[in-house]
Amino acid sequence: MNRFFANAERLARRTFLGQASLGLGSIALTGMLQPKLWAGAANASLGTSNGAVEPLHFAPKAKRVIFLCMAGGPSQLELFDEKPKLADMHGQAMPESYTAGMPIAQLQNQKELRCYGPQVKFASHGQSGQRISELLPHIGGIADDICIIRSLQTEQINHDPAHTFMNTGTSISGRPSMGAWVTYGLGSESADLPGFVVLVSRAGTRSPQPISSRQWHSGFLPSRFQGVPFHSTGDPVHYIGNPPGVDRTRQEDVINTVNALNRLHDAEVHNPEITTRIAQYELAFRMQMSVPELVKIADEPQSVLDSYGVKGADGSFGYNCLIARRLAERGVRFIHLYHRDWDHHNRINKHTRELCESADKASAALIKDLKQRGMLDDTLIVWGGEFGRTPMAQGDVNSPEAGRDHHIKGFSMWLAGGGIKPGMTYGTTDELGYSAQENKVHVHDLHATMLYLLGIDHTRLTVRYQGRDFRLTDVAGHVVQDILA
Amino acid sequence: MSNSLRAEEATAPRFNRDIRPILSDRCFPCHGHDAGNRKAELRLDTLEGATEWAVVPGDAENSEVILRVSSDDPEYRMPPASSHRPPLAPQQIELLRRWIDAGAEYEPHWSYIRPEKPEPPQINDDASARNAIDRFLIEKQQQHNIQPAAEADRVTLARRLYFDLTGLPPTPAEIDEFLADKRPDAYEHLVDKLLASPAYGERMASWWFDLVRFADTVGYHGDQDHRIAPYRDYVIKSFNDNLSFDKFTIEQLAGDLLENPTMWQLVATGYNRILQTTHEGGAQDGEYRAKHLSDRVRNFSEVWLAASMGCAECHDHKFDPITQRDFYRLGAFFADVDHYGSFEKIATNSLPTERPPEILAWTLPVFEKAEKLDKKIAELESALGDHFKGDWEKKRDELISLKRERIELEREFVPTMITRATTPREIRILPRGNWMDQSGEVVQPQVPHIFEPLAGGDRRPTRLDLARWLVDGNNPLTARVVVNRLWHRYFGIGLSKGLLDLGSQGEWPQNPDLLDWLAVEFVAPASGYPGWDVKRMVRLMVTSSAYRQSSLPRPHVEAIDPDNRLVARQSRFRLEAEQIRDNALAVSGLLVRKIGGEFVQPYQPAKYYMHLNFPERDYFPSNDENQFRRALYVHWQRQYLHPWLLAFDAPTREECTAQRNTSNTPSAALVLLNDPSFVEAARALAARVLAEAQGDDQARLRWAWRVVLAREARSEEIDLLAKLLIKHRAYFSTDNSAAEALTSVGISKRPENLPAAEWAAWTSVCRALFNLNETISRN
Repeated sequence: MNRFFANAERLARRTFLGQASLGLGSIALTGMLQPKLWAGAANASLGTSNGAVEPLHFAPKAKRVIFLCMAGGPSQLELFDEKPKLADMHGQAMPESYTAGMPIAQLQNQKELRCYGPQVKFASHGQSGQRISELLPHIGGIADDICIIRSLQTEQINHDPAHTFMNTGTSISGRPSMGAWVTYGLGSESADLPGFVVLVSRAGTRSPQPISSRQWHSGFLPSRFQGVPFHSTGDPVHYIGNPPGVDRTRQEDVINTVNALNRLHDAEVHNPEITTRIAQYELAFRMQMSVPELVKIADEPQSVLDSYGVKGADGSFGYNCLIARRLAERGVRFIHLYHRDWDHHNRINKHTRELCESADKASAALIKDLKQRGMLDDTLIVWGGEFGRTPMAQGDVNSPEAGRDHHIKGFSMWLAGGGIKPGMTYGTTDELGYSAQENKVHVHDLHATMLYLLGIDHTRLTVRYQGRDFRLTDVAGHVVQDILA
Repeated sequence: MSNSLRAEEATAPRFNRDIRPILSDRCFPCHGHDAGNRKAELRLDTLEGATEWAVVPGDAENSEVILRVSSDDPEYRMPPASSHRPPLAPQQIELLRRWIDAGAEYEPHWSYIRPEKPEPPQINDDASARNAIDRFLIEKQQQHNIQPAAEADRVTLARRLYFDLTGLPPTPAEIDEFLADKRPDAYEHLVDKLLASPAYGERMASWWFDLVRFADTVGYHGDQDHRIAPYRDYVIKSFNDNLSFDKFTIEQLAGDLLENPTMWQLVATGYNRILQTTHEGGAQDGEYRAKHLSDRVRNFSEVWLAASMGCAECHDHKFDPITQRDFYRLGAFFADVDHYGSFEKIATNSLPTERPPEILAWTLPVFEKAEKLDKKIAELESALGDHFKGDWEKKRDELISLKRERIELEREFVPTMITRATTPREIRILPRGNWMDQSGEVVQPQVPHIFEPLAGGDRRPTRLDLARWLVDGNNPLTARVVVNRLWHRYFGIGLSKGLLDLGSQGEWPQNPDLLDWLAVEFVAPASGYPGWDVKRMVRLMVTSSAYRQSSLPRPHVEAIDPDNRLVARQSRFRLEAEQIRDNALAVSGLLVRKIGGEFVQPYQPAKYYMHLNFPERDYFPSNDENQFRRALYVHWQRQYLHPWLLAFDAPTREECTAQRNTSNTPSAALVLLNDPSFVEAARALAARVLAEAQGDDQARLRWAWRVVLAREARSEEIDLLAKLLIKHRAYFSTDNSAAEALTSVGISKRPENLPAAEWAAWTSVCRALFNLNETISRN
């Protein structure tokens, strides 16, 4: 190739791949998983990344995120936000001063709004004495490792748009999810796994709220930043298995032939896309090995399996938490778990207990496991739903059938690891648990804080689309300094 | 754009071309149109605002703007560091300086000025120019001392044209036919043949579906199927019939408001209904009415005006003269579309769900039957006449039975969502987009204030008025938007790059005269033919010399024009998701060419829909010929688009898409390698090789290569494939069950008496062919 071509190709490559640069040599590198490939993670000192944000805006506290989404909207009033006054007012009319002019969901159709007292007891846990529900004994056991925020607010009151808002900072479809933003900004540290992985579980046999793949879509970012769902049954990743009758050697023969023919053609037409495609086929072939290896949990000691409550590749929340740890170990940047079925419009007492049984132990096990491996310091964990639930009952307050409706003006989450101040509670709601009162934390603030911990200024991670610079936090968002370690 | 491309512009800076892009990017966010966000009460987007104190026309040195942008003092310099916008480059400051010194003349944004038809330039050597397009392009190229590329070889040209116009590959016989056609206008004959083929309408339909976000499901929450199949067929039929674009526009936006609308015109109004809707329990009607309004305004303005108005839902547009009031006034045109917010109260969680109003309508196959019957009935009726003699009784009975058949045919009609005008709801401006705040002004339908208002006297303007305004020939945007997008399809990059934004943040067109010439030619052709003729415009583009160029880069040209904005060669790009599968099905002989009807369902990973609910659902892949239909009929599940479509960048169609990404990922590799649709196509092509190709391995490999890639293989290529063939022949002959397994993938019939090992080895060869970069590229 003459000098002109080399130059032209470099130019064209810049056009096609953004910041990616690719080698022709034996080491296959990927445009999908590592936006800037030669700045490998192994060489990355503090303050650099292999993504679009280079250098990082701040020294990062966290290298990766595990987001444990309790989908459906868990009740903060039964988990983290203790409201004795609400208990006192159980069965009484909810004062209109709280609810006038506020959006409501299914309670639109209910004649009276009555206070519904917490259905559980709270106790103090750990040195920090954080007040946590009796339904979460294991999370109580890690009270000194987590920061509980009780003053979250969001803007969307129905599940689908609320998830979209929690993930993309807007309820309008087509925008990148936070996992896509983070992977775009920081790149991936894994050479043969996707940078953004999604795992979905459900508890019990009820009919849970749906989860749309929009929640891990890359929107207008290149599709290589899309979340890749991992499954516990069938192929762990779509089409990761060879066709029937084709073993690994035969697959390799086909791929080698494809790459050889592509190389031959490239010599003729000088198309950087071909170089990239060759690399992607090599990576795909490696993924066909690395993904099945990743999900083989047989190499975990029994004690670890027990701590997560894992019985096998059952797709349970516990199993997904364990896979999350294995993904984190292998350098995956953003791991997003959805645990469905927290939508307790009725029988909240019964159903919240069931959901806590499935979520409590594994969540705590994940934190302890990461801590024991020295990974909690640079892994940011976020635990919570797309919104919370009303202090008012849905249904008859005196019936076991009673539940709580969707609620967006005040709800709780907890964060841990990666630069979060452990053992603290932040923010309050009013005495009936309706509206966030002190230290409100909007979803945009949560995003700003997460990005900050990863070393990114949320106002500077922007992508131009349709003539506008878009960002995860839209035009808002403040880093919540008070909860930083 | 490289600096050298700017060379010719070194004389007088023009506001639209040179100055506005700088101001728009660096200044307008705080000193622009959005009153709410304006700093220092300064606006630079109007002459009046700028010359209050910041700009002194004719005197750059005493203009505050120049002092600020060129200052070394970070406290004083604009834009400030806090804006995260970089300081201006020295060349940009110089441009501003010269513009102010020359009098600081403002122009309205280029795309808001009605295009005039420029005279195609006279060029020195126009031997290679076939039409006006070429003259515009060559003029620019000559300014940079670039020659256009040579014409592509005929095989490449044919394959390019087949994919671009029909989305399907040419067969070797079709290639041979073209090669053998020695007429000087053989190429034009091929263009006409392809434009007349029904596959053309299918190909164009995919493009339109991305824009209008056509999908088979509701999008939100349970993402149930909604009933809309006839609309798909309306779009295919319209492109095939070459319905003029003005009528196409009017029928979709306001077909129900036409006098005595036909069934197709009512079906067309499905356009207003294919936005995302919900059935979620607890959805608030007011909130969803607001969501629907903004969804419709966004899509309308993106499809026809390439204007991104989304941000005006909450505040005045920061860069463009679009106000929040404009946004809600546009929304008011759609206030008669439906009175539903959420559909929770009027439908059930069923598959499909109900989304009234709907009518029973024909799909294309049913329409074609109806058309035939109607013709026969009319013939018989006229034959019967008013004089009953001879075998009139036989004719009468025949007529009765035909009429009965015609009525029976209505059993095959299916429900489809349409628009039926109701009393318009009251539309208010929602302060900050908050639907619960009902304190905003009540607004009437009207076009954005930068345009002449629709004159209707006291009459409330309707969707029909709005649609006609788009296509009355005076709208400065509509035609530019369409020709720019068509250009993108045939040349790989828009004349203005941002296909969704011709506003002030969009790109000044690379060749504004060409864009305007095309736009005017589209609306009012010089030939005197009626305007808005899409096929004629497509034909004009693909019969230019520019289209017929080779796509191979030339080093000296790449150095000057790395992004190929001067179009001194063709572009080369990956095929779209639909084409990639259609191609595999076509060359393997599996493709079933049936036009229209209900959606089809290809194989898909088990339990892919497991996280959908209300209701929970299984997926049943089509187990008949529908498995092998073209991809545009595939069930478009917005929340869980088929993984093959996702891997090759097909959009979810929740919002308008004017330009798909073209990614290059391991996921795509895994689809082509392992998705049963592609494996089955490989084993079917392998069976074809064994049944149809003559001669030894080499000859058969050459045959297969040509079927897949159109061109002749080179001997090195054949050698590589032969190695694979021999290796796998040896392997599979020792493992018959593996060979049987591989050649049993899919539901298509297995030809009998094919030796499994031989067949499996050829299947490996065909898999390799399907995975080649060249196979999934258009060059």
